[in-house]
Amino acid sequence: MSESTRYRGQVQHRLGVVGRYTLLVAMAVLSLAPLVWMLLSAFKPGAEIITDPFRFRVTTMTLDNFRTMLETVRLELGFRNTAIVVLAKGMLTMVFCPLAGFAFAKYEFPGKRLLFGTVLITLMLPTLVLLVPLLLEMSELGWVNSFPALILPGAVDAFGVFWMRQIVAAIPNELLDAGRVDGCGDLRLFYNVVLPVIRPGLAALAVLTFINIYNDFVWPVVVATDPEYQTLQVMLSTLSQRITTNQLGADWASVWGQLLAASTVAAIPVFVIFVLLQRHLIKGVMAGSLKG
Amino acid sequence: MIKDHRLTRRSLLRGAGAAALASGFASVVGCAPSNSGSPQPLGTPSFTGPPAGEITIWNRSGDLYRVFDKAIASFTAKYPQVKVNHIAIDINATLPNTLITGADVPDGAFYDDALVPGIAPHLYDLSQLIEPYKNDIAPYKLGVATVEGRVVAIPWDLDPGLLFYREDILQAAGVDPAGITTYDALIEAAEKVKEVFPDSKPIHLEANEFLSQLWLDMFVSQQGAAMVDADGRLALDSPAYRNALNFLHEVNQRGLGTVAKYLEPTDVATLDNGTQVFVPWAQWFVFAPQQLLTETKGKWRATFLPAWRPGGARSGVMGGASFVIPAKARNPQLAWLLYEYLTFHPDGYRTVYGPNDVYPGGINTSVPSYLPALESDALFEPVAELGGQDLWEVATAAAREVPGGYRIPVWWGRAVDYLGVNLQRMFAGQLTPDEVIATSADQIQKNLIDRP
Amino acid sequence: MTLLTAPRAARKAEPARGGSTASRARRRRRPPLAPYLFVAPFLLIFLGFGLYPMAFALQLSFTNWRGAGVLEWVGFDNYIYLLTSEDFWGSLANSGVLWLLVIPGQVIVALAVAVALAKARLRNLFIAALVAPFVTPLVAMAQVWIVLFDRDFGAVNLGLRDLGLPPVGWLTDPALAKPTLALLVLWRTTGYAVILLLAGLQSIPGQVYEAARLDGAGAWTQFWRITLPLMMRTVSFYVVIGTLTVFQLFAEPYVVTDGGPFNSTRTAGLYLYDHITNSDLGLGSANSFLLVIMVFALSLAAVRILRSREDA
Repeated sequence: MSESTRYRGQVQHRLGVVGRYTLLVAMAVLSLAPLVWMLLSAFKPGAEIITDPFRFRVTTMTLDNFRTMLETVRLELGFRNTAIVVLAKGMLTMVFCPLAGFAFAKYEFPGKRLLFGTVLITLMLPTLVLLVPLLLEMSELGWVNSFPALILPGAVDAFGVFWMRQIVAAIPNELLDAGRVDGCGDLRLFYNVVLPVIRPGLAALAVLTFINIYNDFVWPVVVATDPEYQTLQVMLSTLSQRITTNQLGADWASVWGQLLAASTVAAIPVFVIFVLLQRHLIKGVMAGSLKG
Repeated sequence: MIKDHRLTRRSLLRGAGAAALASGFASVVGCAPSNSGSPQPLGTPSFTGPPAGEITIWNRSGDLYRVFDKAIASFTAKYPQVKVNHIAIDINATLPNTLITGADVPDGAFYDDALVPGIAPHLYDLSQLIEPYKNDIAPYKLGVATVEGRVVAIPWDLDPGLLFYREDILQAAGVDPAGITTYDALIEAAEKVKEVFPDSKPIHLEANEFLSQLWLDMFVSQQGAAMVDADGRLALDSPAYRNALNFLHEVNQRGLGTVAKYLEPTDVATLDNGTQVFVPWAQWFVFAPQQLLTETKGKWRATFLPAWRPGGARSGVMGGASFVIPAKARNPQLAWLLYEYLTFHPDGYRTVYGPNDVYPGGINTSVPSYLPALESDALFEPVAELGGQDLWEVATAAAREVPGGYRIPVWWGRAVDYLGVNLQRMFAGQLTPDEVIATSADQIQKNLIDRP
Repeated sequence: MTLLTAPRAARKAEPARGGSTASRARRRRRPPLAPYLFVAPFLLIFLGFGLYPMAFALQLSFTNWRGAGVLEWVGFDNYIYLLTSEDFWGSLANSGVLWLLVIPGQVIVALAVAVALAKARLRNLFIAALVAPFVTPLVAMAQVWIVLFDRDFGAVNLGLRDLGLPPVGWLTDPALAKPTLALLVLWRTTGYAVILLLAGLQSIPGQVYEAARLDGAGAWTQFWRITLPLMMRTVSFYVVIGTLTVFQLFAEPYVVTDGGPFNSTRTAGLYLYDHITNSDLGLGSANSFLLVIMVFALSLAAVRILRSREDA
């Protein structure tokens, strides 16, 4: 390679690096800025949050919102319930979605097309419309205000299966044939051949599943009316109802303060745990991709 | 290349077929719940011995929840064997669905008047229980609590309409608030203010579609009218709506109004800097001078709304809530006992409205709809941010002026997409008042009334 | 009813492991039991909590049930009402415009970010930052948007004023409300897209790039000729998911603009939400199934276009 080409290559590389990190930092700042706003606003008096949302005076900082929130919102229950639901539902998804995706991607069996077509329709159906029918079903089962009701519907969900099918389908058949020739049964084939290759996809599924379950409020709000079973999102939604439905009443400002305080308390640990978990996930991902 | 199943027409058709099959299966099993569909009467409670038992009561979260908590505590002090599970919950999102399924239904809930007709079939008929109090309840409130001739809610607060104004500006402009007795007089007053303060656009015009419809109905309820007549037929084409819309239109056309969304940045700023001088609104506007308006704290006052014709009613209603008792409640009698205490007994309503550590001056954003309560000594204290004005006196006097005859159709909230939107279109200069009425009536009739 | 009986049969049988070549051959000639086993957990949950309520919803769509009383059959009246309703088509159009404002741009940005992330250090921190929009409550973010874009006193217009430009009615002008809303949707969902696309990116074997580099291909050529075509499958997947999301969106338009101004942000999702929250369940169900058809058609069209790119 000539001098000039190598030099051009180096410049291109440097520009690439600069460009890359600029983009990433910009995205990170844009993504984080509102979270920071929320954190800072939680320490402002309720009225100030509405009248002066972007100014943060150290002199008026207060812990009032947190104090009032702790009196009215049973955060410890919210955390406990959210943890239970996320863990149980998350595990079900992470264990059974890849398996089902594998079956759809690499096997032929009678009824496969029919099943996949039905899954597709369910995926496209707005979950909102299933709210009352599903609630009626829960009522018939006696599951209203219970953990099964929060965990089982949508546990091994269509999106996860769809995504896993997508991921597994990309595996070259030769790899699987080689595995079979080596004497692998179906399950071992899955563990030894499929899983290592789809690690990036699995990592993505884990992240997105966690987020979806944690954020889910439409269903939990409706099925968990008893504080014993309310997740964090349900409690936050209770606080925000005064803001969304209408701003009538004198305690509108105080509810704002409590909402932001509760959201901060709810979001920060999640965020921290996520950062810690990411290390593990990324290790797995990098190992998978380096293998090539 | 693996064939992509999601794009095959066949797989979709097969899926649809399976769904239809399963639907047939489901209908055989029959999973619709058995609701009678009309309210069951709740009889007068007869307790053998002191009332005892456990009830679950739903309320919205916030300071109001804490206030009710204290009031409930005074109730259980009176009836120690009654246990009340007081729960803060997103009622609007949860109650309708809970009532439909009938599972884990609360014994009582706090609910917006505008939404009560929508859940009426699932509630107890309280007519018999309300009978002894009927003549002592503000006619407006009794009207909205009655659905198809049955009382399905216990009327709670009355939110009378008042005219809030900047006393200092009126003084400077030489306007006497006591002279604003009709809406024509209000326009004149606004003109006078504008002469002295040319930058002002004195009268508040609401820009939030939902709130503006609620606000419009305040002017209409002031005239004893409503969106529907006694037979449930659309009554938009009426003098009441015409008067209100013509007034608002004129204010806007003459540059006498500030179009702003309630308490959003523009509204707060223009309230605080003298652009807005007159705010016709429900009593709960008083929240703004108390909590949000830093520059003009102490300069606002409240008085009666002007009348639509000389001698007409000087107030209407905007908003309000009541208590409901679901038909599937486990202990409806006890729930009634609690709500009866809170609404009709002095100890009850004093504890809620009176001064406490949540609201040191008492709740001053509404008044009870129970008329004897209005006659009593002031439940809340004079408001410092209104220059020490005795708001209780004005609010109760206004409350007594509110005529009956207002009705809330089941689809009131859905009508915002038509009437609320068209009102905003009028403010934007796209429609005349007559067009607002005609277009909205057309749309509401087609989309909300004439449908499967 | 093969689907329901097969898993039970599979569980009873003992799947043979290893064994002689002959027995393995015999096994392959019988229908495979493994896929049924693998699919069973998903299937059970899907049938019980997905298909069953969906079937009931389908049934409801032919009634005028409002949550009380018996089911009254109205045939196709709900469907006809919707298909002849200005509001319904208007809401679809709004969602369509929102889709155009969100999806194409998002895919491009997310792809760029994913490519940048693939080779970046501190990747885990960046990904954690991208997750932030998901864990902040929507109501709080909506308020930020309302305050940021307020016409007279919002930060954005104040900035414009400093630059000598006139104020813009971001949330008050019907033509601008959708783009402003789209911005919120973009902010909240791009992280999701990045995570998905990154996974797809990392599934491309390194050897492919090695070979290209040895052939003298620069970074840009690599991206254009290798990355993009191989990513089409993942991109198509995200487009489908994104389309679903955009058309079901109801919370964002509800809290920021409540469908306004003048119903310009009343999306298909919000229109449906109105039905459901008013217990208009018969009509709401019909609405949902119509949406399924529309969304499917749109996804199909979008994917077909992308697929043609992939084969190139």
